[in-house]
Amino acid sequence: MQMQVVGLTTPQEVYVASKDRKFRINELLVLEDPYQGNLIGEVVESNSYNRFIPLSIGSSIHDADVLESLKHLGYSISEDEINIAKVKLITEASFPVVTGSSVRLPAFDEVRGHLLKGVREDGLLLGEIKNTEETAATMEDDLKGLCEMFSGGKLYKTKNVPFFLDLRSFQQYPHIGVFGGSGSGKSFGLRVIMEEIMKHGFPALMLDPHYEMEFSESQESSEEKRDFKDNFRKFQIGEHIGVEFLNLSRGDLLALLSAVSPLTEAMSSAIESLHLRGDTYLSFSNRLELLSEALEMGRLRIEQALKQDMEPMEREKYIKMRQLLEEYQNIPLPSVQGIAWRLRRLHNSGLFSHDIKPVKEAMMQGKLAVIQGPIWLLQVFSTYLLSNIYRKRRDYKDGELKGEASGDYFPPFIIATDEAHNFAPKGRDAATKGIITEIAQEGRKYGVFLILATQRPTLLDETVTAQLNTKIIFRTVRASDIGTISEETDIKAEEARRLPYLPSGDAFVSSPLFGRTVAIRVRFPHTRSPHTQNPLDEIQLHRESSEDKLFEAIKPHLPIYAANFARAVEEINRHAGANYEVRTLKAALDTLVEKGKLTRKASPLGDIYQATDI
Amino acid sequence: MFELNANLKQTFEETAKAMRLRLQQKPSVDALRFMVVDRGIGSFRMCQKLDCRGLSSIAQKGRIVGVDGSTNNAGGPFPYSFTLQQALAKVCSSKEEDVVITDAISPLTMKDAITEEEYRDFIKRNLAELEVKAALEALDKFNPRVVLLDGSLVRYKIESAPMWETLKNRALAQDAVLVGVVEGISTNIISSCLEDALELGGFPASDWEILFGLLQVGEILEIVPGLFKEGFRTFFMRSSLDPKPIGIDLLEEQQEYLAEVSNLIFTLTPQDGRGIPLWLDIIDKNVRITDAVMEGLLNTYLGEDYAEFLKPKRERRQM
Ligand SMILES: Nc1ncnc2c1ncn2[C@@H]1O[C@H](COP(=O)(O)OP(=O)(O)OP(=O)(O)O)[C@@H](O)[C@H]1O
Ligand SMILES: [Mg+2]
Repeated sequence: MQMQVVGLTTPQEVYVASKDRKFRINELLVLEDPYQGNLIGEVVESNSYNRFIPLSIGSSIHDADVLESLKHLGYSISEDEINIAKVKLITEASFPVVTGSSVRLPAFDEVRGHLLKGVREDGLLLGEIKNTEETAATMEDDLKGLCEMFSGGKLYKTKNVPFFLDLRSFQQYPHIGVFGGSGSGKSFGLRVIMEEIMKHGFPALMLDPHYEMEFSESQESSEEKRDFKDNFRKFQIGEHIGVEFLNLSRGDLLALLSAVSPLTEAMSSAIESLHLRGDTYLSFSNRLELLSEALEMGRLRIEQALKQDMEPMEREKYIKMRQLLEEYQNIPLPSVQGIAWRLRRLHNSGLFSHDIKPVKEAMMQGKLAVIQGPIWLLQVFSTYLLSNIYRKRRDYKDGELKGEASGDYFPPFIIATDEAHNFAPKGRDAATKGIITEIAQEGRKYGVFLILATQRPTLLDETVTAQLNTKIIFRTVRASDIGTISEETDIKAEEARRLPYLPSGDAFVSSPLFGRTVAIRVRFPHTRSPHTQNPLDEIQLHRESSEDKLFEAIKPHLPIYAANFARAVEEINRHAGANYEVRTLKAALDTLVEKGKLTRKASPLGDIYQATDI
Repeated sequence: MFELNANLKQTFEETAKAMRLRLQQKPSVDALRFMVVDRGIGSFRMCQKLDCRGLSSIAQKGRIVGVDGSTNNAGGPFPYSFTLQQALAKVCSSKEEDVVITDAISPLTMKDAITEEEYRDFIKRNLAELEVKAALEALDKFNPRVVLLDGSLVRYKIESAPMWETLKNRALAQDAVLVGVVEGISTNIISSCLEDALELGGFPASDWEILFGLLQVGEILEIVPGLFKEGFRTFFMRSSLDPKPIGIDLLEEQQEYLAEVSNLIFTLTPQDGRGIPLWLDIIDKNVRITDAVMEGLLNTYLGEDYAEFLKPKRERRQM
């Protein structure tokens, strides 16, 4: 296997050619420059082409005949293939690389610094770095086979270099974004991240609108059985935890009530005057009930009632009603009724019967607290919860800074959530937006870190997005989201183009720590979500349905000639409104061949893909 | 814009008119075909594309080899020139190594002083010789059935006589068919036979002119023995949609293979191409010495300062 620098070079970029080795995107290569010594580069584009196919101008079918004839005479044109890689240097050269320099795969030690950051003990083992098998073979043994991978229906120990996210570096680069379309592997990714955080005993809090973050059942198929029963606690809002009404600020209360159903302006101003400092749920709801009764009766009837004989308790009630009526005479009855209804609904959810002590306790013990609830309730509740624990941590830290060792200890922690665009939406308000923005901007100082996952990065508040230092990007199909991702990360155009076709579980990690985008595959989680009874079945189902869709889109355009991919892609895209590209179409076709949906016939002009006759 | 002065314009117009006239005077295709047959110049015949069976039967007798050469000059004006030549014999197989012969020449390193004219002649002959050598080596190495050479066989006989004799004898002994494939026809065989019948505005017609559009795709015109150079047989073939036919030479001793060879060439030629068998096109691409290679070699072995010294003014102007 011989690889060589060819063509025009610059200090940043070179082309490398090989006759017998196909290059893989994101793999690292060593360029042996005779003057500058060994330089490390990363493959950013990989092409294979036949030197002679460009000869076949015009109707390729006739040429196919000629090539077929040559094949009968013993010459297969595919042997004249050349593989070319565009390679970006990751160690900057001071002048252009010498053309003709030989190129080889690196030994692990040569690229260790580019693949592993920080010490292993502090790392979150997220999975493997793609296309590093050869390099991984020269790793020290205790880095080999560290995690289990699941792909192509098989579970196996990784053969690649492991990918660690350095927990220690969170101090510098505190926040993580996890982006990816539906089914791209976000939930699996989040699960793996949380498992790793639990392994480190780092306190964390997770908002779980999907009720899927359960860590007590280990994967059946997995060899290394491992669960996290003792490392996490699950709380349902209203069931196990809630808010102490007494501690609610006016803002909290407004947010809570409006989360049930939006408040009118009249209601909001009514709450302003009705909610008093020191109110408990009982005192506040009593006030509302009495006022509403009073408004219904009217002043005259209350006065009349008071003139009659009655129990002292009863009398007291009427006096109170008269008093309220005087005090709040401008508040319309419907407003009061509306507020009361909302409050009752919150109460019935159990929200006011519990507090957040259990969450704090779990976190103090270095556990993961998973908070579950419907998204509306999760929103308001987490506003309250996050503000509360963030304040606790901040007060402690500020106190420590001022030299006042007074405050209660509260540890640093991580907040993770899926559907983050609901919690900090762009261009509209949400109860949680304020606190999340605040943590995004200042959390670093206090050791409070965010992991925000979303299907729609475009809908996430820009201020928050800008603070996400590390981004883990799974398959993304929507053009607007790809646009946002390209803007917000150092992802290269070539990688952005691959985003729509990443298999579930594959991701690009864009991190200032690496200074480049790293292509990874997330490891198989140790535990499974309660939804997925048998992950094997689910994976197969999932894959089949996406294959069916693809097959339907392609069917009208069969047979497809490899030499004519460009036209086929154009047609398929036009008809199906899809966004395929030549290279990815080929991969997709090959998958369909594997599944037996298509047959691939070799021809000297390249392959011909036909529908499989049944 | 380039201003055409009146005089120039007139000349263009007159030329175009004359050309048109000359073409109008050319007899019709039917008439020409009749003349060719009537005067016993040659006969028309259709070729066939070979199917798998046909190809296999050739392949059984031996391989197909193509031979081509290339020359590139670099450096400065004579005698500062530097010539690189390369001949390639490539067997139609994906496993075998090609035969490559290269040669580098410069007037400055020749034993005897030489004029520019002589030098030009020398490199011409040298290239023919390299090609013949490559073909010879290919005969040894690949034991081919057919050897396709790029250009007329006559050229080798003229430019590299002794080596050519060796090649010819070896080929006859091995029963390997030598075939010259000529892209640009420059003969006057047909035209000289039709001289009296063709009066095209004072100038004699040439073969390519007569042959243009004369043949159907896949048709050949086989010239009768004796009309072409001694020791050779030649025929013309419209091997693709292109109306300009190609010329094909064989050894007289191997004329019995004419049908086999013509069918093979027709089969190996892309219909939309310029009429050359794809195999020769592939070899042409492989053997070509590019300017970039020349420049690289000069810079490496001569040093950039000398390379600069030799670079023509014209080139520098563009930078
Ligand atoms: N790392 C992985 N290894 C193996 N399979 C994976 C991996 N990640 C995802 N998958 C497969 O893809 C499926 C979808 O992944 P996941 O549930 O994580 O998607 P998602 O991005 O959370 O989608 P949604 O946004 O719809 O919730 C999984 O059920 C699993 O079959
Ligand atoms: Mg999910």
